[in-house]
Amino acid sequence: MAARPLLSSLRRQPAVLGLLAVLLLVLLSATGLRAVQAVAAEPVPIRVLMPAPLADAVAGPVARFNASNSGVAVEVIRGPLDTETISDLAISSLLLGEAPFDLLLVDVSWLPKYVAAGWFVPLERWFGPELLAAMEPGARLGNGLGEHLWRMPLTGDTGLLYWRTDLMPRPPRDTEELVAISRDLQRRGRVRWGYLWQGRQYEGLSCVMVEMLQAFGARWWNGSTARTELDSPEAVAAASWLDALLRDGVSPRAVANYAENDALQSFAAGEAAFLRNWPYAWREIEKGGGPVAGKVGVTPMVGAPGEQGGGTLGTWGLSLIKGSPHPEEAVAVIRWLTGPVVQRQLAIEQGYAPTWSQLYDDPDLQRRAPLLAVQRQALQHPQLRPPTPAYAQLSDLLARQVNGMLTGQAGPDQTMATAQRQSQQVLRSLAGSPTPAAPG
Amino acid sequence: MRLLVLLWSLGPLLWQLRTSLLRPEALVAPLLDGNPWTLANYQLVLSGDPPFWRYLANSTLVGLVTTVLTLLLAVPCAYGLHKERGPVRWGVGLALVAAAMFPTVLLFLALLEIARSFGLANNLLSLSLPYTALSLPLAVLLLRAAFADLPPELEDAARLEGLNLGQRLKHVLLPLLGPALASTAILVFLASWNEYAIALTWISRNDLLTLPIAIARIGGGSVFTIPYGAFAAATVLGSLPLLLLVLLAQRSIVSGLTRGAVKG
Amino acid sequence: MNKRGTTLLMLPALLLLAAVFLYPLLRYAWLSLHASSVLTGLVPVPNGGANWGRLLDDARFWTDAVQTLRFALVSVALELVGGLALALLLHRPLRGRGPLRALTLLPWALPTTVMALGWRWILNDPHGPLNAAIRSLGGSSYGFLSTPATTWFFVVLADVWKTMPFVALLLLAGLQTIPLDLEEALRLEGASRLQILRRLTLPLLVPYLSLALLFRLAQALGVFDLIQVLTGGGPAGSTESLALYAYLNAMRFLDFGYASTVMLATFLLLLVLLGGGWLLLRRAGLERTSGRPA
Repeated sequence: MAARPLLSSLRRQPAVLGLLAVLLLVLLSATGLRAVQAVAAEPVPIRVLMPAPLADAVAGPVARFNASNSGVAVEVIRGPLDTETISDLAISSLLLGEAPFDLLLVDVSWLPKYVAAGWFVPLERWFGPELLAAMEPGARLGNGLGEHLWRMPLTGDTGLLYWRTDLMPRPPRDTEELVAISRDLQRRGRVRWGYLWQGRQYEGLSCVMVEMLQAFGARWWNGSTARTELDSPEAVAAASWLDALLRDGVSPRAVANYAENDALQSFAAGEAAFLRNWPYAWREIEKGGGPVAGKVGVTPMVGAPGEQGGGTLGTWGLSLIKGSPHPEEAVAVIRWLTGPVVQRQLAIEQGYAPTWSQLYDDPDLQRRAPLLAVQRQALQHPQLRPPTPAYAQLSDLLARQVNGMLTGQAGPDQTMATAQRQSQQVLRSLAGSPTPAAPG
Repeated sequence: MRLLVLLWSLGPLLWQLRTSLLRPEALVAPLLDGNPWTLANYQLVLSGDPPFWRYLANSTLVGLVTTVLTLLLAVPCAYGLHKERGPVRWGVGLALVAAAMFPTVLLFLALLEIARSFGLANNLLSLSLPYTALSLPLAVLLLRAAFADLPPELEDAARLEGLNLGQRLKHVLLPLLGPALASTAILVFLASWNEYAIALTWISRNDLLTLPIAIARIGGGSVFTIPYGAFAAATVLGSLPLLLLVLLAQRSIVSGLTRGAVKG
Repeated sequence: MNKRGTTLLMLPALLLLAAVFLYPLLRYAWLSLHASSVLTGLVPVPNGGANWGRLLDDARFWTDAVQTLRFALVSVALELVGGLALALLLHRPLRGRGPLRALTLLPWALPTTVMALGWRWILNDPHGPLNAAIRSLGGSSYGFLSTPATTWFFVVLADVWKTMPFVALLLLAGLQTIPLDLEEALRLEGASRLQILRRLTLPLLVPYLSLALLFRLAQALGVFDLIQVLTGGGPAGSTESLALYAYLNAMRFLDFGYASTVMLATFLLLLVLLGGGWLLLRRAGLERTSGRPA
């Protein structure tokens, strides 16, 4: 290595110098343009983070709201499509203490976690009980925790049972009928499979489990003891029923790898008599114009004989972020977005179930949103996923165990016993004491 | 043989280039009529909110600050380590090697807590603090090797002439270290330009994202609705500065890593 | 220069390093003995080792450990073999060697996320070029990223593509230290190229191979950004790595106590593996190079 001063050694590396110059240029132009950008807008900006499909669905109403000169400019941030990913995005912002949005569209299963983390402002000051009384009973669930209201619901979706009107005169009344009709149709060669549902190891399987536990009179979560009850005989019966569907060939083995879309595709291709899915699936089937278009009926989820069935509640709603600089304006936006006008449009265009009872009574809407009556019926007995801040972990381990059962790794007894043991372990490790305190 | 290697290394990039220049419809099915080529994807990415160059600028700023900071801390440390003898030299050397190998993603949670309690979040300048620390081990090891390459008589002569430590470093040693400094700087810059886990947890404001996070956030959704053309345009734009850097500074990078391998 | 002075010169850098590397490990050790979650209002409360008990019974942790190990071992093995081949090629006096080196180096210099997104498109089912090629050969589209049994291998492929040049570069450095006259002497004795590789090149490369092995193994066991962007850990968790699981525990489940436990367990696993690997290499290296001063 020759002795030469730093500058001349750099000169020998013109590449490096040139590069530094380019980088500096980029930097300077960036700061210059930022100054130009800093032009303040007149109306109060309210930013709402939503998953892309819902953001697109409300784009029209939002544009009308902004044009109405209310002094508020709603800016919808289109989040990722995937429910988990958008929650990740919200959490990483909230953890750092300065959220770049005022309102968040919250899935019913996240609410306890966000409330426990202290990220929301209670809404009962603005939305009293008399207001909520105008909603269907199921839509009122999953918005309040403790003494407070934390969320105003925008949609009232529940899990539904799809059935083929060309294969049977009426939908099954209970789980036994569902299996009997399936096996009869399969035996006669009318259809390849009986019942399609979501068995992949993910949140969708937990939703199926919520419905099955309800169908067999079991419960996942005991709110008064804050414990899980997954190893009860009823819970094992629920798991056994799902297990038997695969063993008896009523459902294909592939169900263990099905998410909503896989099951929907197969059902829309005419391969099965029944499907468990969300309301949007109906529009997909009709729009697709496949072999079963026009031959599909929808009914609330069935229970075992003598038990009340119920679909899992999968609603979205708006919550106000603590630290929002304009809470009053943000609440005005909540009021507008969750109001009947917007919900009506969502029902017509996207098939989302409304929350307001008046919309279900509207004959015009009934005509334009054919599922309305069934959706209302389903909202009389919907099932909540365990309303604990630890839900994400509990759901993950239950879905993992049940999926293991579906792929033949353990029987229903052992599956549910393991799930129960691991659930209690998780709660202990989360709470720091043997009996975790109830949230809120 | 050479062709095969080039195909393997550049093929995926060239495919991204092709994708970025196609109309979205042409990606899914062969077009029956009309010109399939377009620059619309680039327009889309560059006119986004914030525009894509903003992320490039953010990454550049963090990279430059990190590089300067790292060199400021690494040069004295490397010199000290070079002069040190005994167990301290051995211990510090070992610790540096261990730190250089440490998978940095495992640090994010504690660093997130630090960012929260000291209010370092959403600030590009403070982001270069952990980046500096992550780059320091390798930088110190490379520079120590460079110090060891210098003939010891040089410094002795300077000392006899009465130059103090600062003067010796400034007038005698550092000028000789030019190439080593340059290659270290480039490696540090590259590392900070590409860092993911800490930027992911320290930055949440959209206009402050660095390039890797911005790109990941674009892709973080469902597979179904990703506008691949626009993302290909983003990857091409994100690759160009590095292509430039690697082509121009290839020899520095190779020599830097080589020295690190020999002495590290 | 006195001894205290040189130590002082190192102090600023060492302090920063301690804050960023040492403090997290101590913090994790402490947090792993506490509950710090949404159930405690994100305030640490001692939970008597419940995190570690949960870890032992946590199917997801152990599945991820096996998956991470599989990813690391297979990708590092492929990178070493491929990197060696690439280094041997780049070492030969070819025309345009400089630009060739630069271009093969490019994948390593790009941010991981940039090309992870690129790979997602290339492996797309059914519109990606790979599936288009399969179809034009008469096959039917393959769900590269949606088949739980095989997706991990395509993640490995993306990792090999990115890091092989780095391994090649390290080995290239080693090749440059091998005296040309030794090779010449062997050739005059009538040794074939394969024999030269086996008897001369490989033994002399052992230190460089070991370095590349240990370094890449450590990085691969901490794999995070590639998997998060390419597959998100899916399908059905089949590509989830330990680092991703730790990340999810912290950022998705808001369970900092358990996230710390997972992180620390990953670190301990790494120590055991690297320590074992290092001892193994040392023994192998000593046997090979016996006769030469260590």
